[in-house]
Amino acid sequence: MSNNLISVDNLKKSFGGLKAVDVQELSFKKGELTSIIGPNGAGKTTFFDLISGFQSADSGEVSLKGKNISNTQPYKIARMGMVRTFQLTKVFDRMTVMENLLFSGSNINNDSFLKSILKLNSQKLYESNLKDKANQIMSDLNIGHMADSYARELSGGQKKLLELARSIINEPEILLLDEPLAGVNPKLAEDILSLITKLSDTGITILMVEHNIEAVMKISERIVVLAEGSLIADGVPNEIRTDTNVIEAYLGKADE
Amino acid sequence: MTSAKISFRLIFSLFVTAFSIYLVFLLNPDGAPRILLNLLTFAGIYGLSAIGLNVHFGWTGLLNFGHASFMGVGAYVTLLLMPHAAGREGEVTTTGLPFFAALILGIGAAALFGLLLGLPAIRLRGDYLAIVTIAAAEIFRLLVRDLESITGGVYGIINYTDNFQKYRPLFIDNFSENLGFSPSQAWVCLAAWVSIFITVLLLKRLSDSPWGRALRAVREDEDAVRAMGKNAVWLKLQSFMLGAGIAGLSGVLLAFNYGSLETTVFIPLLTFYVWAIMILGGVGTITGPIFGSIIFWVIISETDRLAYLLFENANGQQLAGVRFLLVGVLIMFLMIFRPSGLLGKKEELLLDVK
Repeated sequence: MSNNLISVDNLKKSFGGLKAVDVQELSFKKGELTSIIGPNGAGKTTFFDLISGFQSADSGEVSLKGKNISNTQPYKIARMGMVRTFQLTKVFDRMTVMENLLFSGSNINNDSFLKSILKLNSQKLYESNLKDKANQIMSDLNIGHMADSYARELSGGQKKLLELARSIINEPEILLLDEPLAGVNPKLAEDILSLITKLSDTGITILMVEHNIEAVMKISERIVVLAEGSLIADGVPNEIRTDTNVIEAYLGKADE
Repeated sequence: MTSAKISFRLIFSLFVTAFSIYLVFLLNPDGAPRILLNLLTFAGIYGLSAIGLNVHFGWTGLLNFGHASFMGVGAYVTLLLMPHAAGREGEVTTTGLPFFAALILGIGAAALFGLLLGLPAIRLRGDYLAIVTIAAAEIFRLLVRDLESITGGVYGIINYTDNFQKYRPLFIDNFSENLGFSPSQAWVCLAAWVSIFITVLLLKRLSDSPWGRALRAVREDEDAVRAMGKNAVWLKLQSFMLGAGIAGLSGVLLAFNYGSLETTVFIPLLTFYVWAIMILGGVGTITGPIFGSIIFWVIISETDRLAYLLFENANGQQLAGVRFLLVGVLIMFLMIFRPSGLLGKKEELLLDVK
């Protein structure tokens, strides 16, 4: 129990008559790299929304580090160390790449109106440290040359990178990645995958929704399969690959 | 290259503004200084209000169509706290706070009104917020109209200008006499432009700060702000309060520019004028509304004269029609030529509301 960072108990969500998520029991251990797969409409993104607080469940409970977070505001959940990205990349379009990172890295204390109006030295120091950190992350992700461009000038793949950069600047304990490879060219996908692996190696717990099945099989330590909102399989990649339910619901016969 | 672009925008704005002022002299051979003073006073007051609106819309993306009510709260609270006369019988209130104390409370009341209006409304998305704010502003105006025992209702408030005019320095009187100004209006005009100067300094400090950055992030994407662990609602409320406070100050100045105050001042048209000024000047800029406001007021006040010069034989009603036609045409031309406003950057064109 103490080993579980996130646990889900009897989580249910429907939209009208449509059952989006109905998960009896599911938990994720610290440091695991888990992929969530399933056909379109299986409830993967809704599942993310439920555990990150962006939607509230009809019933059931989500706990993070042993605390019930079922009706907690998304920003409070993020402050507890669980940060998510979005299926449709959400960057701050009319702000520069640097500003995107600085905003995300800055803590709420540093954002305060009073500090900003007084322009305290402590704030200046904090900002310059933050800038160094942002520069480091940008150069690691090969977007350093874009620092002063508006985020909306970036290509789709670069936006994905920026969103990732933004998510890791605060050193979260848990990352929820919603389709980090969607619409990304193969070369960049390779880079993003190795970044995810590297992050996982540093001990960050990662949950990833992804349709690129080869990538999923390659880097995941565990795969959870959802179909019509329910859990149909849960195991290491090799088990999933041969699971008849999964093949029928999602992978299709061509895979084996 | 960027700095070259900025200076081009600035020079262009200065040029258009200077040209507008020149037009005042051209169209009014007699009494141009007096007309200009009147125009610059309104431009200062409305410009200040538009600077506040820009904090809401330009910085934070909040579609506030109830700006007149923030101006109104500031004006009414300030005036009612000072010695004044109000109502049908002109009932005199002799006791009250000194001007500056009342002003600070008035600005505070406007900010508080922003908070109170924001608490239920600010979770609404874009256009819904617009509807709620415009309705709230009308409710405020009608309440003030009907609470006659406190606010003077339709009879308004009078005899309050001395509270402020008694601080008028002597040089204004001397100066005004030479130019044929009304000294009391010259004093309000000076106060308006000093207020603009202070507000601009304040906002310049805030715009590049982490706080200003957070507001812009809210404008761009609220969900992403939440996902980064920031309380978007609280940021929006702070923005609402700051902009409302600035509007409150401009409302007080507006009241002192008029010798009496009644509720019809705060009709939705006031809000729309302020919006037009902000858009003309450049959404998301700090000083843009200042230029926008001067140009707007030149257009508003001088089209009258222009219409008269163009159609000498027309009657009053026809002239009024031609005048608003000219207003529309001129503003359209400016927007076609500079769609992001005089000072606005094309890359940051902020009019595409989600």
